Amino acid sequence: MLFVTIETWQITLFSVAVALASTLVILPFGVALAWIFARKEWPFKTVVETVVLLPLVMPPVSTGLILLEIFGRRSPVGQWLYNWGIEIVFNWKGVLIAMAVMSFPLLVRAVKTSFSEVNPRLEQIAATLGASRRRIFFVITIPLAFKGIMAGSLLAFSRALGEFGATILLAGNIPGRTQTLSLAIFNYVQTGREHEAYMLLSITVMIAFASVWCSEWLLHPAKAS
Amino acid sequence: MLLRCRIPLPDFAVDIDASFDARVTSIFGPSGSGKTTILDAVAGLTNVQKGEIEINGKILFSSTRGINLSPQQRFIGYVPQEDALFPHLSVRQNVLFGSDRANEIMKRGMIEIDHVLDVLEIGNLLGRPVTKLSGGEAQRVALARAVLSRPQLLLLDEPLAALDIALKEKILPYLSRVRDEFSIPMIYVTHNLSEVLALADWILMIRQGRLLAQGVPKDVLRSADTIAQIAGEQLENVFTVTIMDSDRVAGRTRVRLESGQELFIPYVPRSTSWPLQVRISAGDILISTRRPEGISAGNIIAGVIRSIGIFNGQAMIAVDAGAEFYVRLTASAVDRLKLVVDDPVFLIMKTHSFQIL
Repeated sequence: MLFVTIETWQITLFSVAVALASTLVILPFGVALAWIFARKEWPFKTVVETVVLLPLVMPPVSTGLILLEIFGRRSPVGQWLYNWGIEIVFNWKGVLIAMAVMSFPLLVRAVKTSFSEVNPRLEQIAATLGASRRRIFFVITIPLAFKGIMAGSLLAFSRALGEFGATILLAGNIPGRTQTLSLAIFNYVQTGREHEAYMLLSITVMIAFASVWCSEWLLHPAKAS
Repeated sequence: MLLRCRIPLPDFAVDIDASFDARVTSIFGPSGSGKTTILDAVAGLTNVQKGEIEINGKILFSSTRGINLSPQQRFIGYVPQEDALFPHLSVRQNVLFGSDRANEIMKRGMIEIDHVLDVLEIGNLLGRPVTKLSGGEAQRVALARAVLSRPQLLLLDEPLAALDIALKEKILPYLSRVRDEFSIPMIYVTHNLSEVLALADWILMIRQGRLLAQGVPKDVLRSADTIAQIAGEQLENVFTVTIMDSDRVAGRTRVRLESGQELFIPYVPRSTSWPLQVRISAGDILISTRRPEGISAGNIIAGVIRSIGIFNGQAMIAVDAGAEFYVRLTASAVDRLKLVVDDPVFLIMKTHSFQIL
């Protein structure tokens, strides 16, 4: 019989909260970048797109190492942030940044596809009717791509929740401070606490299933039902 | 209006130079001849390499002066061929989409929303989602939306092409109403000659991005060049008529053309306040050199041959019989009857050959 301990609750809550925050933080940037990728052309665009997609295929630990180099206290960025009283490494902000960076490409890719499916003719017609670019974006483009944006956000959220490699390098695996679901499962298995490990395993399966199912339902309503 | 522009396309370049001042200008040409590209250039939706576009003395684009107004600044209403409506908005939201801009420019002349809804008969559609409209209804909503943005020019890109014949017959009269009620000049793109004859008072004939001819449609359509272009087309004569009297028992209605000529058409039960449009195919008209007797056809009218164009064994004959009628015969019939320009002839048309649009 599995039962949920206070500790596993806290871990779950922390993971979900930070993953949610990470998704909300990357959402405006991801949507903006996806729109630029879908609608604008410039030389070497594919190079830029590839760079954005890199975290999707690179070993997460490598990405984590790069982030550590950027945000570590010895780096100019880390030093500058430290002077402002902000520390990234080995606390929840590190978890958030690792999650954000790792899930960003997934969000951009999904949202770009949904923007590409919006007929540019509708945006042009709106322009002839006097709508400003801002109004076209918020009243025509975003609503027509809304399902894709939601689906992309759910995918990004799931990816954030499952983040391991980059998180452990940037934020460490500190129980009660930076320990997420994935890190905790790893810890429990290592220390032989299999009951808790399976507990967390079933929680992650449920959350992942729910978000991927919702995302599929948004993109292909007929197929999922 | 001045329209001088060069736009490179993958296969050819659109390169035209035209100047016209008409209520309805028709851009006529086969599919893929660059017609939509020209509309896009006028609306500011495509890159023009060089040229000048000017409406009512206002420069929209000029490569020499470095002027290129955005679509928002051009005040041009655009009804595209299909997928015109915003699918996530209601019919009401679609219709009113451009009207807030219009509120700022009332000086252009007030167009009452109710009047537009009335003329296009879409008042009862306002609460519906766009996805529940038929093709013809959707085009009328798109037309209303464009008119309500109080444009200085309306661009219509084959608004009938996506509709089937039955629907076309219903929407053509609405286009005439828009033309007559709102006095907004229109540029109307089509590859259908009947539509040109029904609506336009100026025609630009385009092929492969080049201007072949321009002028008053009836004049342009007389030239042998033009007849060669349209040899394969189903050419229909379209007339605006007013009902004189209707006789249910006799099964026919007497109508008068704008030129004063009277005709019999099949019985029309309703007395309509709008002028009616009727059409007859050029292939459904017979020509006789003498007034026929003892014949069942309801319409026998005298006229004079204005032009004869022969192409690929097909003859297109323009006859002035009060109004101008186009008649399609075989080249052999022209030979047999020894028809030449300025000959007096009689046109024979069955009452039932007329269709009401």
